[in-house]
Amino acid sequence: MAPSAVAPTNQSWSVEYDTVRREKLFRDPPKDRSAYPALQEALQPHIESFNRLMEPGGLLEQGIKDIGTKVFLDADPSKTEAGAPSPNRLSVRVSEVFLEKAAIPPSNKHSTRNREIYPSECRERHATYRGKLRARVQYRVNNGDWQETIREMGQVPIMLMTNRCHLENCSPAELVQHKEESEELGGYFIVNGIEKLIRMLIVSRRNYPLAIVRPSFQNRGSTYSKYGISIRSVRPDQTSQTNVVHYLTDGNATFRFSWRKNEFLVPVMMILKALVETNDREIFEEIVGSAGSEGVADTFLTDRVELLLRTYKAYGIHSKAKTRAYLGEKFRIVLGVPDDMSDEEVGNEFLRKIVLPHLGSHNVTEEQDKDKFKMLLFMVRKLYALVAGTCAMDNPDAVSNQEILLGGFLYGMILKEKLDEWLSSIRFAANEWLQRTQNNFNTQEFLKEFPSRILKRTNENIGGAMEYFLSTGNLVSPSGLDLQQTSGYTVVAEKINFYRFISHFRMVHRGSFFAQLKTTTVRKLLPESWGFLCPVHTPDGSPCGLLNHLAHKCKIATSSVDASALPALVSQLGVTNNSSASVDENVVVQLDGRVLGFCSPKQARVIADTLRHWKVEGKNGVPVELEIGYIPNSHGGQYPGVYMFSQAARMIRPVKYLPLDREDYVGPFEQPFMSIACTDPEIESGVSTHVEYDPTNILSIIANMTPFSDFNQSPRNMYQCQMSKQTMGTPGTSLRYRTDNKAYRLQTGQTPVVRSPLHNDYGLDNFPNGMNAVVAVISYTGYDMDDAMILNKSAHERGFGHGTIYKTKVIALDENTRTRSSKNISKLFGFAPGGAVKAEWRNRLDEDGLPHIGMMVNEGDIIAASHSVTYDGATGTYINRDGETELHKYKESETAFVEEVRVLGSENGNEPCQAISLKLRVPRSPVIGDKFSSRHGQKGVCSQKWPAIDMPFSESGMQPDVIINPHAFPSRMTIGMFVESLAGKAGALHGLAQDCTPFRFDEANTAGNYFGEQLRKAGYNYYGNEPMYSGITGEELHADIYLGVVYYQRLRHMVNDKFQVRTTGPVTALTGQPIKGRKKGGGIRVGEMERDSLLAHGTAFLLQDRLLNCSDYTKAWICKTCGSFLATTPTVAEAGPKRKATSAVRCRRCAHHAQGYESKSEVWEDGSGIRWTGGENTTLVAVPGVLRYLDVELAAMGIKMKFDVGP
Amino acid sequence: MSRETYQVPNLTGASYGGGTTGFQDAATFTIQYICGECASKVSLKRGDPIRCKECGHRVLYKERTKR
Repeated sequence: MAPSAVAPTNQSWSVEYDTVRREKLFRDPPKDRSAYPALQEALQPHIESFNRLMEPGGLLEQGIKDIGTKVFLDADPSKTEAGAPSPNRLSVRVSEVFLEKAAIPPSNKHSTRNREIYPSECRERHATYRGKLRARVQYRVNNGDWQETIREMGQVPIMLMTNRCHLENCSPAELVQHKEESEELGGYFIVNGIEKLIRMLIVSRRNYPLAIVRPSFQNRGSTYSKYGISIRSVRPDQTSQTNVVHYLTDGNATFRFSWRKNEFLVPVMMILKALVETNDREIFEEIVGSAGSEGVADTFLTDRVELLLRTYKAYGIHSKAKTRAYLGEKFRIVLGVPDDMSDEEVGNEFLRKIVLPHLGSHNVTEEQDKDKFKMLLFMVRKLYALVAGTCAMDNPDAVSNQEILLGGFLYGMILKEKLDEWLSSIRFAANEWLQRTQNNFNTQEFLKEFPSRILKRTNENIGGAMEYFLSTGNLVSPSGLDLQQTSGYTVVAEKINFYRFISHFRMVHRGSFFAQLKTTTVRKLLPESWGFLCPVHTPDGSPCGLLNHLAHKCKIATSSVDASALPALVSQLGVTNNSSASVDENVVVQLDGRVLGFCSPKQARVIADTLRHWKVEGKNGVPVELEIGYIPNSHGGQYPGVYMFSQAARMIRPVKYLPLDREDYVGPFEQPFMSIACTDPEIESGVSTHVEYDPTNILSIIANMTPFSDFNQSPRNMYQCQMSKQTMGTPGTSLRYRTDNKAYRLQTGQTPVVRSPLHNDYGLDNFPNGMNAVVAVISYTGYDMDDAMILNKSAHERGFGHGTIYKTKVIALDENTRTRSSKNISKLFGFAPGGAVKAEWRNRLDEDGLPHIGMMVNEGDIIAASHSVTYDGATGTYINRDGETELHKYKESETAFVEEVRVLGSENGNEPCQAISLKLRVPRSPVIGDKFSSRHGQKGVCSQKWPAIDMPFSESGMQPDVIINPHAFPSRMTIGMFVESLAGKAGALHGLAQDCTPFRFDEANTAGNYFGEQLRKAGYNYYGNEPMYSGITGEELHADIYLGVVYYQRLRHMVNDKFQVRTTGPVTALTGQPIKGRKKGGGIRVGEMERDSLLAHGTAFLLQDRLLNCSDYTKAWICKTCGSFLATTPTVAEAGPKRKATSAVRCRRCAHHAQGYESKSEVWEDGSGIRWTGGENTTLVAVPGVLRYLDVELAAMGIKMKFDVGP
Repeated sequence: MSRETYQVPNLTGASYGGGTTGFQDAATFTIQYICGECASKVSLKRGDPIRCKECGHRVLYKERTKR
């Protein structure tokens, strides 16, 4: 094909409206690439991290290597007698894992043309977007040939737009073809029709030994101190293992790790001696420094290292092999290794799996063990420095010591663990087979039956486990994956509006473990976060500071960059192996937690500067994304050295490198020790190495959308970030193909007049989130107190803020959808054939028992009909036997309209309709009580729709759409709103799109002046005030009114979803008091404090009304003599055709058994036919129902209550 | 007979009589749906498997109107 002459889609945007360009993009979606690359960039961490899983050499492949081969024996070697044949070994391993794209099952023979399942179908069918997972399993007995079988491991949910999704690399035009948004971003999963995403989690920085001071360390044992060095060591498959070296108060050091949720402690010397063939002198010199170095003079250190060496003598283990065997013997059970493995081999496994696995976790070479040895020694050295006070503790809450656990990586970790678990579970199935057949592994039957009988008995449904993880967010894992929480990993990607949706993907959570922490230190905004986490965009309330959002220019590395050239480069720059404990003498150079060598502090600086220059220049194989953390020597500061990081999960952000005037990426670890000027004038010659591209780079996408946010008081910007996410906006254009439980839509959205260029970069005009309103700041109607706002009735009638809610209801006939076939279908939609069908049903429903589209439904209306059936195998039809029709009703109180009716088929394409999906439309025009807000955290409730004729008007005849009270400003200081009003007015008058990027104005040229001049040019007052006339009297108002154009958002909190009123209604059976809950028609509790305030006001009648009459008012009989509620009993008329006894209530306790001689009129009979006299002194009183209940409860405990009844 | 005159909704020919007479052929009616993939009309009877006859798609929409 000849290259097309058409220019590729333009991807650069400005602040302009670009109405025609957007219209064209919308009508004719581009066929080459998206016009909004920034939007796609924002989602990269999610998509790329998932892509890493399945690619060649990807994480899952690495994970399989780490799992290795499982060996099972057919007899216990310890129990077999000498001379008997040794047990047979069955080795099983997974050699490959495939994840297929979503497709309909092969049993479906009806779809020949297109067997792919697209995400939109999963949304519509409330199904899961998943692909088949298959594993190639290899097995052999003893040393026979490897046999192969392919097992199906269930269907695993697939992230959209990744390399396992059909939508990968689709152009906007193709996306629209597949019923997606033209700017569909992916990055989430579809589970049961709900969009779920794995949220990013903050974990501590990998492969860097953190100096930790934590008082809780002392709880581990008697001599444990609060000092420790912790390293989160990450394997190539992104799973991690945390190693901690603890300092004991006697000067010793212990190595701690946690394995399968249990903690273990090993003397650090034992690990050191097991790693390499070494001697005490070498260890001493590696920690302290060779003879003649400054370190030797440090008696604090030498004393402790001596003690370290001496105390280990007690174990009496000498060579490397013996140490490994010792470790192996102790950890044999814990590691779950095959029984016939020798102790030394188990020791090797221990070191491979647990000790610093980032330096070698598969086929560990001697070189790698040497690296581990050196790293461990470095940790010990840093530990002693920490205790001696020569280095400060590292702050685990600072971004510089953190990285991000990406959704895709976590997914891979779980997948790996499930595979591991499954492989181990073969043991039970194999043992069962052995017991059943009384056979051994080394037989033909075994090899034949292994896949068909033994593997089949194992639980191979890994797909189901992954689906469970996504739908609940709960992590079921025997190892805990080195993470601190077991739930809350996934969230629903709510599409209330686009802002909400996009911010889900930029959200970073600190971990739910920290949410319960009483201390607030983890929530603090630290200066290290600059440029990585947005300082504004965090919710207020309980998740404040724990739930952060990435700054919009912050990227996350999703793969390792090639840093293989660095060890050679560094040694050329003068790094040697000689070291000393004194950091004045030499400091460490590390790459990804591997000690490359040591150099003098002066050299370290040169090395860091040189590498930085090469990295930006792209010379000598130093990648630009490499992080070069140079920590200079200081007095008791962070432990110095050059720490380089090249791996994934790091946050990085672009800044300009001044010497080359080129883009450099900096990470949070190196940033605190660099001099990055914020703006060009701040560049300090000789000091600044970098400069920010734009000061707004520190803000998140949402925070960037607040106009003139630098004019506002900072909490107001936080509130705006919250509120923009609750706005009734535009969730998308493919609303027709979505089945969200609840979707909000603003019918009359507009593009804001005042916006920043980023608004276009992120394509937010495709999803309008509010409307421009003429706003007068005036106290006019008397209905504008306390943040109320007045809506112009004509504005309302023109459609201002008109919105719609779409609700989707699924009507499923059969709940247990799993085991369904055409044979055991028990219900069908439609009226029961042969049964009576009422005319009113027929008016509402179609013949198929489904509602007509466009039908209005009210509370209690029928929306579907079904009947029970049994399958008749002879005719292949369904027969109804009872002739009864079951009706499905609309239960909500609000009037709605049927928008769409979807008839859902099964994946197999052979089942009759068992579920329908109804989309209902609830129109929501603004009513009094609905919530609105400007973009400056200024929310208000509509208190009145004011007639247009009574509205004040300006000299040019303009009427405000919205009136707000001037009192909203003095205390809140949202000057940005004034400036927006000014800019909006000038923009509307001149037809301009106004740039509202923060930090563009200063004292010399103010925003007020800039926009004031524009206003003046348009013939308006420079200050934005205008004379106005009363709409009622026509007189000019005494003051000039501030009138301008402000972008208003309609928030999704509407009275119709909130109002809760009742006088009487449903009550609880036990107490007779009103039930709780708005849905059930319950009341709002008048609690103790409310009662107190009513008492204080002296409103006794109101109190009586609330607490008794409208609550559990009951009339109860009480005996005035004995003061008991419980002894009263109604009399029963005597049997027989005598005179009718006066039915009354008497007290049984005060009465006496009738002796038989009393007059007939005095004798009464109770319910059990016993005759009494007396007990007549009863009366009816009004009491709260719970009082009687209390009496009953107390009586059950043997406590009597006596009431004095007066007067 | 002009097209503008109001015509009483006539759902399945004569079968719609109103009242309790119901519709006698409840087991044999056919209703047209629209395929969610290829937008072709799909006629289904009671108990038929849900799929498009043309493309085998598994989501069908109810028609907005039958007139």
